[in-house]
Amino acid sequence: MSTANPESERASPSWFNRFWAVVRYEMLWNIRKKKFIGVLIIAFVLASVQFVLPAFLDIGPNPYSAITFSAGNLSFVLFAIVIAMNSISGEYESGTIVPLLTKPVSRTMVFLGKLFAIFVVLVVTYLLLFTYSTIGGFIVYGAQSDLHLLPLAIIGDVISTFIWIAIILAAGAISRSSLLAVLMAFGLFVALTFGTSIVASFSDNPDLVNAMNYLPGSGASGTLNITTGQNITISNVTINTLASVSSGTDSIGVNLVKLALFPDANASFYYRNVLSTDPTQNIRLLYTEPLGWIVARSILVAFAYIAVFLFIAWFAFKRSQIQE
Amino acid sequence: MDLAIETQDLTKRYGTLTAVNKLNLQVKRNTIHGFLGPNGAGKSTTIKILVGLLKPSEGTARVLGKEVHVDDADARLNIGYMPELPRFPKHLKGAELLDIYGRMYGMTQQERSEQIPKLIDIVGLKGRENDFIGKYSKGMQQRIGIAQALLNSPEVVILDEPSIGLDPVGMVEVRELVKEISKEGMTVFVSSHLLFEVEQVCTHVTIINKGVALVSDTLANVSGMLKGPAMLNVEVAELSDEVVQAIKSLPYVKETSVSGNMLNISLATGDDVRPQVSQQITQAGGVIISMNLKRQSLEDVFIQLISNQKEAKA
Repeated sequence: MSTANPESERASPSWFNRFWAVVRYEMLWNIRKKKFIGVLIIAFVLASVQFVLPAFLDIGPNPYSAITFSAGNLSFVLFAIVIAMNSISGEYESGTIVPLLTKPVSRTMVFLGKLFAIFVVLVVTYLLLFTYSTIGGFIVYGAQSDLHLLPLAIIGDVISTFIWIAIILAAGAISRSSLLAVLMAFGLFVALTFGTSIVASFSDNPDLVNAMNYLPGSGASGTLNITTGQNITISNVTINTLASVSSGTDSIGVNLVKLALFPDANASFYYRNVLSTDPTQNIRLLYTEPLGWIVARSILVAFAYIAVFLFIAWFAFKRSQIQE
Repeated sequence: MDLAIETQDLTKRYGTLTAVNKLNLQVKRNTIHGFLGPNGAGKSTTIKILVGLLKPSEGTARVLGKEVHVDDADARLNIGYMPELPRFPKHLKGAELLDIYGRMYGMTQQERSEQIPKLIDIVGLKGRENDFIGKYSKGMQQRIGIAQALLNSPEVVILDEPSIGLDPVGMVEVRELVKEISKEGMTVFVSSHLLFEVEQVCTHVTIINKGVALVSDTLANVSGMLKGPAMLNVEVAELSDEVVQAIKSLPYVKETSVSGNMLNISLATGDDVRPQVSQQITQAGGVIISMNLKRQSLEDVFIQLISNQKEAKA
């Protein structure tokens, strides 16, 4: 043990060294969690199902399978839950917050370190998942086109997931309970999914349908007016898949890729009255907007939610008093 | 005065409950200062303010001359702290945890590789340092808690109930360790509800109850502040009235009571008067079988101070 010397007080370590120590602390915690490994396995199984089922349906080649792959909105919430649910609230629950916050690291630094570690774990997870989906795409759907657009799909999915991560962190920092954080995030997801489905099915009000794009989730569903290149042979099913568009924050990745493929495309949003017997009334155009605007809006909306909820999480964490 | 810890009118309220009430604490450098009080006295709350986990409602706290603020990271560079029943991430290994904390203190690779094995050895975790903390027993978590508090060779070490959860051997080891680190120039501020622990280890003591400091001084002064009346219990064969009267006639005898063959003498002095008492009994025809002098202990002071506080409130 070295002797304490009042004359030689320990010099303030660099910001980066302390920050990196927090990142290490968090990363090791995260990647060793059994539930994280479990969800990763489930995600790979679900991705496999996406390949195996269409293979049985014999839908023919799809060169866009890899780049239009998305983890999917339920996976966004699940990944967010397993990666972020314990990040702040778990520290309070287990009591590990006490030794951590009495080390020479500020709460802002701890928060940023945790956030960065979550980001790294999420990106690595999606890199693995998209690599797997690309290999699967080659095997099931044949040669894959425009693979240079894959980073757009990954970035989009990371942004979509980060909305839920921010929500979980905010709920966890306020409630100091991982269970409450998960219930709040998942409850919000279910409410939004049901709410938007009801609006999409029954509303013919264009403003109301468009308003769904400003909530986290799938947003409005419409059809993209696209034409494929002369030299690309794809099936009708694939064209239909490419043409369907969701304009919410869950589809940033896929829409970024579609925008790169079809920069001038417009998307039309329809009201479909399945109960009407009058053929002139059962499909009605509500509004049309450029795909570029859809992508820009969904990214802005996503960043607004991320910023607001991360601020709430940071503020609650920074101001918290540790009694236990 | 060269103080390691100083509080002025430190107060912490939780709603209507006042956990710490205008506490004025002074801990001199290079001392082992015991912070003694029953459960719920306000010890942990005071300590949490000192290490920046809680914000005081009123008053100030200074550690190493610097006023403590919540979230002042640099202020913690020279403080080591072990919380009461410390908990660490169970997914980390013992050595890994110390390595990460060492990085937070800005320790170099070389410093960490020298200090960590040494500390692991000192706290008795050698051979278990690469096990996950989740596999550690309560006592082992306590030991890694002590190691992390000493990691940065701090000037002030604050230990909150360091013996809780330890077996008797572990408790002795902790007491020896506290003495050892004090020799190396560190100021140790140790809270405890175990009187004997404070009595055996500390040079100074502050007794706190219901958020109020009842006394704060050197251990010798605190133990001696209520010097006398010591009790003398004498077992006498065929205890007679003559013997009792002879004892009562002694000027330093305050009260006597008889229980069978046992003569209980309440003394008005703290001096050892056993030879004189023995002589008096023998001269009065009594035969002494056994004699036991019970002096004031820290425990007596503690109990008396707390009962005085209760009476004052009543």
